[in-house]
Amino acid sequence: MSEEILKALMQLFAIIAKQDVGLSENERAFVHNFLRLQLNESSVKEYLALFDSFIDSEKDKEKKDENPDKPQKPRLTSVKDSVKTLGIAKKINKTLTQKQKVVVLVRLFELVNSDKNFTPQRMAIIDTAADVFNISKEEYNAISSFVVNETPDEINFADTLIINAREIEDNKSHFIQSQQLDGSIIILRVNSVDLYFLKYTGKSEILLNGLPINSQRIYLFANGSVIKQPKGKPIFFTDVAAKFLSDSSAIHVVFQADNVGLTFPNGHVGLRDINLQEYSGKMVAIMGGSGAGKTTLLNVLSGIDAPSQGNVNINGINLHQKTELVKGIIGYIPQDDLLIEELTVYENLYYSTKLVYRDLNEQEIDEKVNKVLTSLGLFYIKDLKVGSPLNKKISGGQRKRLNIGLELIREPAVLFVDEPTSGLSSRDSENVMELLRELTVRGKLIFVVIHQPSSEIYKMFDNVIILDEGGHQIYYGNPVEAVIYFKTIDNQINSDVGECPRCGNVNPETIFSIIESRIVDEYGRSTGTRKVLPREWVGHYREKIVVDKKSEQYDKLPNAFLKPNWFKQLKIFFQRDLFSKLANTQYMVLNMLEAPILAFLLAYVIRYIDDPTSNIYIFRDNENIMPYLFMCTIVALFVGLIVSAEEIYKDRKILKRESFLNLSRSSYLCSKISILFMISAIQAVLFVWVGNSILGVKGMYFEYWLIFFSLAALANVLGLNISSAFNSAVTIYILIPFLIIPQMVLTGAMFSFDKINRSIGGGREKVPIIAEVMPSRWAFEALIVNQFVNNEYEKQFYELRKLESVFNYKNVYYIQELRRYVENYKSRVLAGHEEPISTDNLELLYNELRKENHSEYAKFHNIIFEDIDKINTEDFTMAVADDILRYLVRLQDYYRENFNRIHDNIDNRVTQMVSTPEKREQYQQVYNDYFNDYLSKFAKNVMAPLPLVRLGNNLVQKLDPIYLDPQDRRTFSFRTHFLAPNKNVLGNLFPTFYFNVMVIWFFTVMAYIALYYNALSKMLTFLENTSGKLKNKFSENAFKIKGIKLRKKKT
Amino acid sequence: MPLKLKGLNFVRKKHKIQPQLTDTNAQNFRTMKKERLLILSIAMFFSYAITSCQQGQRQEATDLLSDSLVASDVRLDDRMVGEMISSIPNPVEMSSLLQKSGVVYSQELLNPVNNVNNYNTNFKRALNLGVYGTDLVYMNIYDRTVATLRYLSNVRDLASDLRVEQFFDYETLNRLSESARSIDSVLFITNSGFDRMSRYLIDQGRSNIAVLISYGTWIESLYIATNVQTVPPNRDLINIRIGEQKKVLDNMLLLLHTYRRDPNFVGLIEDLMELKAEFDKVTISYVYAEPTMKEIDGMIVVVDNSRSEVNISEEIVQAIADKVSYIRGKIIG
Repeated sequence: MSEEILKALMQLFAIIAKQDVGLSENERAFVHNFLRLQLNESSVKEYLALFDSFIDSEKDKEKKDENPDKPQKPRLTSVKDSVKTLGIAKKINKTLTQKQKVVVLVRLFELVNSDKNFTPQRMAIIDTAADVFNISKEEYNAISSFVVNETPDEINFADTLIINAREIEDNKSHFIQSQQLDGSIIILRVNSVDLYFLKYTGKSEILLNGLPINSQRIYLFANGSVIKQPKGKPIFFTDVAAKFLSDSSAIHVVFQADNVGLTFPNGHVGLRDINLQEYSGKMVAIMGGSGAGKTTLLNVLSGIDAPSQGNVNINGINLHQKTELVKGIIGYIPQDDLLIEELTVYENLYYSTKLVYRDLNEQEIDEKVNKVLTSLGLFYIKDLKVGSPLNKKISGGQRKRLNIGLELIREPAVLFVDEPTSGLSSRDSENVMELLRELTVRGKLIFVVIHQPSSEIYKMFDNVIILDEGGHQIYYGNPVEAVIYFKTIDNQINSDVGECPRCGNVNPETIFSIIESRIVDEYGRSTGTRKVLPREWVGHYREKIVVDKKSEQYDKLPNAFLKPNWFKQLKIFFQRDLFSKLANTQYMVLNMLEAPILAFLLAYVIRYIDDPTSNIYIFRDNENIMPYLFMCTIVALFVGLIVSAEEIYKDRKILKRESFLNLSRSSYLCSKISILFMISAIQAVLFVWVGNSILGVKGMYFEYWLIFFSLAALANVLGLNISSAFNSAVTIYILIPFLIIPQMVLTGAMFSFDKINRSIGGGREKVPIIAEVMPSRWAFEALIVNQFVNNEYEKQFYELRKLESVFNYKNVYYIQELRRYVENYKSRVLAGHEEPISTDNLELLYNELRKENHSEYAKFHNIIFEDIDKINTEDFTMAVADDILRYLVRLQDYYRENFNRIHDNIDNRVTQMVSTPEKREQYQQVYNDYFNDYLSKFAKNVMAPLPLVRLGNNLVQKLDPIYLDPQDRRTFSFRTHFLAPNKNVLGNLFPTFYFNVMVIWFFTVMAYIALYYNALSKMLTFLENTSGKLKNKFSENAFKIKGIKLRKKKT
Repeated sequence: MPLKLKGLNFVRKKHKIQPQLTDTNAQNFRTMKKERLLILSIAMFFSYAITSCQQGQRQEATDLLSDSLVASDVRLDDRMVGEMISSIPNPVEMSSLLQKSGVVYSQELLNPVNNVNNYNTNFKRALNLGVYGTDLVYMNIYDRTVATLRYLSNVRDLASDLRVEQFFDYETLNRLSESARSIDSVLFITNSGFDRMSRYLIDQGRSNIAVLISYGTWIESLYIATNVQTVPPNRDLINIRIGEQKKVLDNMLLLLHTYRRDPNFVGLIEDLMELKAEFDKVTISYVYAEPTMKEIDGMIVVVDNSRSEVNISEEIVQAIADKVSYIRGKIIG
């Protein structure tokens, strides 16, 4: 208390005391006592002197004014005194909190009460003061009645509680029976400020927090206080508070944990046999050394983790089994921030509110948010951005309060708070804890995991659960009692004193130094061994403390709050995410610039003029177009992954909290995905626009965009998968190369599928399966095929060239090869070989001729080899061979004929197109602008060492893959060779470009499903657990083996 | 002559098909655009439409296929063509002669590498395949291996466009041309590649292409021979060799005449007729001498002592050179 206030108080006391009869001895003694409680001995004297001087000066003045002749009769308070009182009270108003003002008012009453001299003048002064202090009439009356009346019968308010041997009838007061109590203890609750005052009317020695009570005085009955009587049970603050709250409008919650135990999947025991029962309006601390399982317990109690034994009930409903029924009434405030850093204080609360209340309109939400902000004392900073903990815009205490506010807006009946004070200054810590404490007044049950609380904070709790290593519950009960309990077991002196008799401090650290004290060796050094093992503490606990579990009539829990529907949630999530992203300028700028800058760098670097003598860029001559397409796919993957990799990870704390809101995961994910898709779509536009413009890729913007976007979208969902499964940003970024590099390797651009390891499918007819699962390969193939087939130049000839290619291949290579086998047979027969043709070669001939018979051109030429069944080891003769040769010659003639036809047709077209110089110019322009030489060489696989290869007993075409439709047309064979222009869909040909786009989107949908069911994270936990179990097993075995060896030695 | 008749048929067909085709192309383009809008609504429908659209184009292409075989009785004619082509001197002969005469290598004589981009039709491609082939040989004889690569690539590209790429093992040639010692191999592969290519083309019923290639080869050889500088100035041998081409020119004309119904060939014939006018000024007299017998390695060999005497003046050479330059300019332009 400041000097000024104390002076003001002295003045106020003096004004009251000097009224009518003047200062009595009792009153002076009261002032003396009051000062003694506040100050040291020398200062007490000083202030007492000040008080006396005020009294004297007042008297002098009055004497002068007084007319000695007039008989002394009661007068009204002088106007001067009233004005003075007003002045002092106003001064006090400016500096003291409402709570302190109530205390001052009670003290004023007490002063008057010390002499029982309740004259109207004195009361008028107090009245004035109460008026200025803004204390309501009802509370004023209650305080007055509480101070003035001596017997409980006269006090008849709902705000009082009487502790007595017998209940008084027809009294509104609450009542606690205490059989052996002499007189009564009367407790007053000042509702507006949640303060409790206590006075005692009997003669027994009653101890309040270990200090004797003077029956003349009124005491503040603070949180965590204990009243002890010579005989009978101590009365705890919580007992009193519970009485007041029992009939408040909030639902009454009974929270029970029965023999709760938790064994982690890897075999470690996290919790053992936890029992507790709590009610609305209490604040319970969960304490313990580090690693004792505090947070584990909190997670089990809040329903995040399921216990492996026992159950947790809220009003008789099992939290872990009927989650849906109770989830809505549970709130959880994790240790870390849940705030969206880019949004303002107001916006953070605003979106939380929207997600919780379906039926409120904008105005009601605004009112609600503002109300909560005011009650949190954050209203004046509501438009500040929250900022990150490192880049602070608002203080740590404010952040914490805002976090609590997020939960408050929903008003859950049970609130779980994990280390709310960690990292806060002691002032901020107390503020935060007071805020929580205030909530209990509103009937909330609050569990708080707390570490090293200050005495102030420690005493705020109604109950404390103390855990020891291995999740043992070793204490459950009143916090101050806890100190005494452990001191007693430890046989310490003064073991019955919980708090310091002078200052009232409780040191919770004593508890832990006792619990964890170590055995000291002969040199006085502490050893690693504990004096009392957790097991033994549990033994003491079982012996001495019984958790009182009454089964009661439970209130019905309210229905789960009405959360918004799926689309509304999506909209809110979307807005919240979008605005937080828009607010993050750095993020926006980087993301929007990333794609065009990369595109510019890439395209500008690889745009070159092939002809050293020319200054004109020609698209056709640029050999880098194929690598550019490859880079497009890689950039799309990269950009898509980077933009999403941290998304869910960043939100995971918020998600954890929001899991209590029972919101739809899919709407959350869809909101994320739609925003990411939007970003990717824009990035794709920018990339393709810049890249293609620079490189002069003409007329394919949409197709390039579609591929870039599809791939980036897939990468987005993949990124979300890893960001939801892994628990650190570093891990996530380490993973990105794992996702990208295999895709680079298996795109088909850097390494031909013909030239990769055969054990993974290299050099086969179709793309290796390992590459089929690489989205980049589909994208790259789509880009190449599209660029080659659909460019304005090639489009004019593609179908003709395709036929030309087929006939050329058949004519020049394929039939030639088949003839070779047959002619070889003939020459070997002539040479008299025993086995002129091998079974394999026969099979090859059979296979290929069968294919030819069924080829799509057979219906045109009708050249069918009828005796195909004769191609086997028994029936194959010279005659058959000659038949085959004749057949092949005819076939070859057909192919040659038609090749020439098509070839000439194309040539005629071109000749026509270049018939005049202008036309020729035009033709050349289209050719130069749309066609790309190197890309077409790549697409035609010009560099292939062999135009056809024998794989097994089949011949496979390697030349001109871009002109070769898939040969395998069975219904479900989707796989083809690389760069096939069409894909087989249920026996029909489907353009590769759109087929591949669909494959990429199919991957995306699969990735979404995996994301929705958290498949990756489940897989990871499964792996972790199995490895954990294996480790355990291994170490057990190791012990066993050691044990056996030892035993052997003994024998 | 069924082959030529068929060619003629094609020319006529082409005229009919052409406008129709451009129409459908434009149509295709327009429908493509429409489909882009459609994808926004129904992807499946869109892709189905695309499939059918492509099938349309495909249908049009397969319409060109014959449903029966044309009797292959054109070979007789072609065999004659083949023989005549092989009588035309190949570039290696010409080039080695130039080297022996102390001709200075001159890059400017060659057809510029980038010209390859201008050859869009088979007619141009075939002619210039011959031109580049000759250039390649000429370069290789002078060990200009670095520049060879680009010419090799051109030869390969043109062959590929003509769909006769199988005769040039690109990788081997590439490898060989990296070292000066393997020049002989390069020359051999190139030369035999050209030989096999013409035989193949004739075999495939594409003798017109073979003729064009050898025409290109011959003109380019002639062009180089008429334009080279010698150190010391000694053009006698070269001039004689140029004069000897008089006979070759006659053969060439005969060959081209076979295809005179093709307007492209008509142009060539006209050019060659002009060149013939110059060559007519060259006189070749045949001097008969008694053959003698000689013993070489224990074998008796009859030596033909008769020889042709070529009378060619510098002026005629110059006139021929001008004409050849003109023709060659038309080919490579």
